[in-house]
Amino acid sequence: MSHVQPLEKGIILSIENLSISFGGIKAVDNLSFQIKEKEIFGLIGPNGAGKTTAFNCITQFYKPNHGSIRFLSKKDVTVELNEHAVHEIIGLGLVRTFQNVELIRELSILDNVLVGAHIDYKTGLFGAMVKTRKAKKEEESLRLEAMKILQFLGIADKAMWPVGGQPYGILKKVELARTLMCAPRLIILDEPAAGLNDVETLGLADVIRTIRNEYNCAVLLVEHDMRLVMDVCDTICAINFGKFLAKGSPKEIKLNKDVQVAYLGTQEDQV
Amino acid sequence: MKKLLAQIKAYPYTKYILLGLVLATIPSLVYFDVLKSSYVTLVGVVMIYTIVSLGLNLLLGWSGLISLGTAGFMGLAAYISAYMTMNLKMPFEVTLIVSILIPVAISVLVGLISLRIEGLYLAIATLAVSEIFRKTFAEFEFITNGFSGKSVRYPTFFGFFKLDTTMTYLLLVVFMVVIMILIHNLINSHVGRALNAMRGSEAAAQAMGINLLKYRLLAFALATALTSTAGILYAHFIKYVEPSKWNLGLSLNILAVIIIGGVRSIIGTFVGSLVVFAVPDLVLKQIPYFGKIPNFAYIINGILIIVVILYYPAGLIRVFNDGKDAVVKLFKKSRGKTV
Amino acid sequence: MSTFIQLVTRSLETGSIYALAALGIIIIFRTSSITHFAQGAMAMFNTFVVTIFYINFHMPLWMALLGGIASAFLSGFLVDFLIIRHTKKVSPVAKQIMTLGLIMVFVGVIPLFFGVEPLNLPKFFNSGEIAFLGAKISYNGLFNISFGLILMFVLFYILQKTKWGLAVRTTASNDVVARMMGVPTRKVTMAAWAIAAGLGVIAGVMNAPTTTVTPNLMDSVQLNALIACVLGGFQTFYGPVLGAYIIGIVKNLFVYYISSVWGDQLLYISILVFIVFRPHGLIGKKVIKKV
Repeated sequence: MSHVQPLEKGIILSIENLSISFGGIKAVDNLSFQIKEKEIFGLIGPNGAGKTTAFNCITQFYKPNHGSIRFLSKKDVTVELNEHAVHEIIGLGLVRTFQNVELIRELSILDNVLVGAHIDYKTGLFGAMVKTRKAKKEEESLRLEAMKILQFLGIADKAMWPVGGQPYGILKKVELARTLMCAPRLIILDEPAAGLNDVETLGLADVIRTIRNEYNCAVLLVEHDMRLVMDVCDTICAINFGKFLAKGSPKEIKLNKDVQVAYLGTQEDQV
Repeated sequence: MKKLLAQIKAYPYTKYILLGLVLATIPSLVYFDVLKSSYVTLVGVVMIYTIVSLGLNLLLGWSGLISLGTAGFMGLAAYISAYMTMNLKMPFEVTLIVSILIPVAISVLVGLISLRIEGLYLAIATLAVSEIFRKTFAEFEFITNGFSGKSVRYPTFFGFFKLDTTMTYLLLVVFMVVIMILIHNLINSHVGRALNAMRGSEAAAQAMGINLLKYRLLAFALATALTSTAGILYAHFIKYVEPSKWNLGLSLNILAVIIIGGVRSIIGTFVGSLVVFAVPDLVLKQIPYFGKIPNFAYIINGILIIVVILYYPAGLIRVFNDGKDAVVKLFKKSRGKTV
Repeated sequence: MSTFIQLVTRSLETGSIYALAALGIIIIFRTSSITHFAQGAMAMFNTFVVTIFYINFHMPLWMALLGGIASAFLSGFLVDFLIIRHTKKVSPVAKQIMTLGLIMVFVGVIPLFFGVEPLNLPKFFNSGEIAFLGAKISYNGLFNISFGLILMFVLFYILQKTKWGLAVRTTASNDVVARMMGVPTRKVTMAAWAIAAGLGVIAGVMNAPTTTVTPNLMDSVQLNALIACVLGGFQTFYGPVLGAYIIGIVKNLFVYYISSVWGDQLLYISILVFIVFRPHGLIGKKVIKKV
C-alpha cells in the first residue's frame, strides 16, 4: 500500500475532511481529527451530532462520501480504511463495540468472546469438522487466552453461562472482552456507559485505563456521560451537527464557549 | 468401572454412537420376528430425513437463513444419481460425488442471491427455485423418465460389492452417525460460532471479521451437500424416484422436523424426523376414528409448527431435557430427605 | 399484432388474479409484518366453500361467492384471533414459518371436509366475446379484468382517502406509535386478515374455471403473487399490484414467444437475477440499517 501517505510518527488514526450525507442531510460534515498511539480520545457532542455516524464511517459500516481515514495497521503500515471491506477492519487492528450490545444470546459468554478471535483461527472447514489435532490445539490455546481476558475483567466465573438473561453490566464487559481477543491497536467504544449505574461507570473508567496500559492500545470513546469522558480521556473532540467544534484536554473543553453553547444552548434559548 | 462410565459419558459423541447402535439392531429384530419388516424401510426413511433436516437446521437454525427449496435440491440429487448409476452405469462412488457437487454449485448461486436480498425475501426466492426444479423434473424426460418415475438399484461398491436391504440400511446408519458427529464438531468450532454470529447479529459478525458472503455461501453449500446426500441415499434405498415427490409439501415437512424436534439440536432433529415421518404410520393410524382421517399427520404437523413456535420455541428435545431435569430433581430431593 | 393484443388481454386477466392475491399478501405484510405464505392455501380452502355452495346447495355463483367471502372473513378473523395476536415476541422468520404451518393445516383438512374428487366451478359468463383491435376478449375475461380493477380502485380509495385507510397506513408505518396515538391496531390487523382472505377467495373463484378445484388450485397463483411482491417491492401497497400485472404479461409472452415448456422457469430466473440488481424491487427504496 505504497500509495497511502504514511502517518506522522506517534499518530495511529488520522481523519481528514470526512463527510457523509443521507438524503441531502449532512450527518458528518468535513470532520478532521487525529488520534495518537496509546491515547484515550473522546468524541462528544449533543444527540444527533453525528458521533455514531462518524465512527460507523471509520469502521466502514457506512462508506463516506468524501475524506480519508488513514490508520497505522498491526503491521506498522499506514492503510486507507476506505479501501477495505467492513470485515477486513478488525484484521488491521481496529475493533469496536456497539451502542446496543450486539452479542449472540444463545452462546455462552466464553463462546461470545471467542467470536472476537475469529480471524486468528487458521483451521479450515475440514479441520473443524473432523477436529484434527491442530484444530484442537488452536481452540484450546485461544480458549485459554479468552479465559485470561475474562479473568482480567473479573467475569471468568461466568464464562460458561449463556449470554441471554445476563445483566447489562456483564454484557458490556463481554463485548469489551470480545474486542480484546484480536490484540487491537485501537478500540472504539460506542457509549460504553449507557445503561450502567454510577458504580459501574466508575469501574468502567478504571477498566478503560487498565486496558490502555495492559494492552498497549489507543481507545476512541464515543460517550454521553460527561463525567466518564472528563475523567478518563486524554484528549476530547467535540462536534455538533456533524461539524468540528473544538478539540483539547478535558479542562479546555469544559471551558470552551462553543461547547457550552452546543450543550446548553445560548442564553436566549434558555429564556 | 465407574470411572470408565464417567469417561464414556463425557465423550462428546456418545449419544450419536449409542443412537447408531440402537438403530443398527433393527434389522436383526426384524429377522427374529420381534418387529415387522416394514420397520426397516420406515426407520431408514427417518434417518434419510434426519440427514436432510440436519442440513436445513444448519441453514435455518444455526445460520438464520430460511430455504423452501429443500425438496427440489433433494430431488435433483436423487435424479442425478439415479441417471448416473442406471443409464450411464457409473460406479456408485463417482455418482455420490457428482450428485453432491452439482446441487451444491447451484445452491451457491442461490446463496449469492441471498446476500443481496433481505432475510424475509429469501423464502420466496428459494420457493421460486424449487418451482423451477419441479417443472424441470417433469420435462427432462430422458433423465427423469417423466411422470412415470424412475427405478433405481441398491448401491454397489467398488464395482462388485452389491448391498442388500440390510446392508443399505446399515449404510444409512453409518452415514447419519458420521454426519451427526461432523456437524457436532463444526458447530462447536470457530466456523460454528461464525454461523451463530451471522444469525445473532450481522453487524457484530462483520465487525469481528466474519465475511458474510463467505459464510452464507458456506451455509448454503453445506446444507445442500447434506440434502443431496440424503437425496442420493433415498434413491438407492427406496429404489424409485418420482417427480411429484419433490414438492412444497415435502419441504414443509422437513421444516416441521426441525421446528418440532428442536432448532439447533442434533438429536432433536432425529426426534423431529421420527415425529414427522414415523409417528404417522406407527401411532396415528392406530388411533380409532382419527387414524382414518386422510392427511391427519400433515394437519397435526402444521398445528405442531404453530404451537411449538408460540409456546415451546426450543422444540420437543427441550421437553425431553426438561422432563429429565425434573426426574433428576425429584430423585435428588427424595434422596436428600432420606439422608 | 392481433395475437399480441390477444396475449396481453389474456395476461391482464391472469394479472388481475395475481394482483388480488398479491394485494392480500401486501396488506398482511404491512399491518402484521408477516410474509403470508398461507394466503393461497386459505384462498383455496374458501374457494372449496364457494364450490360446495354452488354444487351442493345449488346457489347461483354470485351468491355462492358472497358465502365464500363470508367464510373468508371468518377464516381470516380466526387466524388473526387464534394465532397472529399471540406472536408479538416471535421473530420475523419464525412468523413466516407459522404461516407455512398454516398451509399444512388448510391443505390438510380439504379431503376431510370436501372429499378427494376434483370439483368444477364455472365462469361468471359462460359465453360471448367482443372484438377489440382484431383480438377477441370473452365477456368473462372482461368481467374479471374490470372487477379486479374496480375492487382494487375501491381499496386504494379507502386506503388513501378515509379514516380507516389512514389507520391502516399508520399501523403499517409503525404499529407501536400508531397504538400510542390511539389507532385501534388490533382491529386494523384483524380487518386486514379478513380483507386479505376475501381478496384471496375472489382470486380463487376467478382462477377456478381455468383448472379444477383441488388443493393445488392456488399454488401457482400464490407463487406468482409472492414474486410480484418481491418485484414490486414490499414498501408500498401499489408496487406488488403493478408487479402482478407485469408478471402476468411477461409470463404469457415468454410462454408464447420463447418456449411453452421453459417459459415459466425462464421468468423465475429472470426475476431472481432482477432482484440481485434491484433488491428492493421496482418501487421500494433502500432502508439504511442503524448499528
